[in-house]
Amino acid sequence: MSEAAGDHAALEVVDLHKSFGEVEVIRGVSMSAHKGDVISILGASGSGKSTFLRCINLLEIPTSGDVFVAGEKIRMMTNSRGRYQPEDIHQVERLRARLGMVFQSFNLWSHMTVIENVIEAPVHVLKIPKAEAVEQAEALLQKVGILERKDYYPAQLSGGQQQRVAIARGLAMNPEVMLFDEPTSALDPELVGEVLKVMRDLADEGRTMLVVTHEMGFARDVSSEVVFLHEGKVEEQGEPRQMFTDPNSDRFRQFLSRTMQ
Amino acid sequence: MDLILEYQDQLLSGTWVTIKLALLSLLFAVFFGLIGAWAKLSKNIVAQKIAAAYTAIVRGVPDLVLILLVFFGGQELANSIGTLTGLWEYAEISQFAAGVGTIGVVFGGYMTETFRGAILAIPKGQIEAGVACGMSRITIFRRVIWPQMVVYALPGFSNNWLVQIKSTALVSVIGLQDVVYNGFVAGRSTRQLFTFMFAVLMIYLVLTAISDSGLRWLDKKYSKGIVRSDDG
Repeated sequence: MSEAAGDHAALEVVDLHKSFGEVEVIRGVSMSAHKGDVISILGASGSGKSTFLRCINLLEIPTSGDVFVAGEKIRMMTNSRGRYQPEDIHQVERLRARLGMVFQSFNLWSHMTVIENVIEAPVHVLKIPKAEAVEQAEALLQKVGILERKDYYPAQLSGGQQQRVAIARGLAMNPEVMLFDEPTSALDPELVGEVLKVMRDLADEGRTMLVVTHEMGFARDVSSEVVFLHEGKVEEQGEPRQMFTDPNSDRFRQFLSRTMQ
Repeated sequence: MDLILEYQDQLLSGTWVTIKLALLSLLFAVFFGLIGAWAKLSKNIVAQKIAAAYTAIVRGVPDLVLILLVFFGGQELANSIGTLTGLWEYAEISQFAAGVGTIGVVFGGYMTETFRGAILAIPKGQIEAGVACGMSRITIFRRVIWPQMVVYALPGFSNNWLVQIKSTALVSVIGLQDVVYNGFVAGRSTRQLFTFMFAVLMIYLVLTAISDSGLRWLDKKYSKGIVRSDDG
């Protein structure tokens, strides 16, 4: 099931729109991520970048548009009130399980220890035997450098540690794509580095990642592609070095000059 | 003391009725409370309105009035329905059922508020994290919401429960032979009301003390990882 045909993008989004009431926040964004791509999504606050990411795994239901995960389209329909909604919630749940998500505010389950957080979804969603899940989780915790805290509760950890656990939790599902929603924005400055390092390592080992971020260094040095959103549209996208040294769009130029000071 | 031993069968059977009544109505109260909390938090406006009316009524009316209404009024209603439809000639609502039903419904109203507050206390992001992992709604409830909700609900729940045990005493007015009724009858026939009511008092204290230690155990079991302000 997880073996997609080679020519499919790991993730493809086609002409996505999202309105909140009268306000159209996403105005037709398309994007595709192939295996190993690391796409940084940049934009000023209010540009719709987080909403876009949340529409991919249907934490927000888009107003129109299509999402394909490893070639499989999330089937949507228009209900009797004219609302766009998933046709089959089970399909959505199955595909969500193939998209790991890391949130700005970590969102670890506070009643579970670190290791319990990481094995939770593999055991209760993927139905992997617990012993196997624990073994895998320990390897992941080792990778993000927090194995020695595996029996701690989230409240006993720093923000950076919690975010690394959250990354391990996402990886534990062995997802097609990891979605990062401003993973370092809620961290104290001195803790940002440890999280970025883990993300860099993931990029190096060929993980497919979509990263909504304000970390310009990460976008420039680590990602394979940068997408700049402005008012719900793709204003500019391309190869990071070219974009950072010689941007085509004035808006991106302004954005850079404001953020790179 | 001899007198109490002489009447111990009545007192014990009354106590047993009180315990059964309290536990069964608790079951109902939790059930109605969960449904009520779900309705209040749902996006469905009709469900919201019904739940709001429910809690407004049961919290605004004395339990005693509701018990009398359900027992005597319910009886009349059942009979007139029977006569009208010709389906049955005479129906009798049992005192026990009326007591369990009424207390369950009344305390379901209080539990609704307790559970609603507890669910709202769970950070929304933790529920989203479950959604993002592909969990079904049931799994999210079972694995993420319930274990944390229990902790947040426990103080209010404990309070409701202790009041509820005491409220079961009200059913003696409809003739249910609970510990109060039996103690009162024994006290009157022996002209030793003080002795018997004191015994009843002690029985209630024992019941609430047992509940208290049970609730403490629950709190310990569920409060792992939850940081409380009093933990320092």
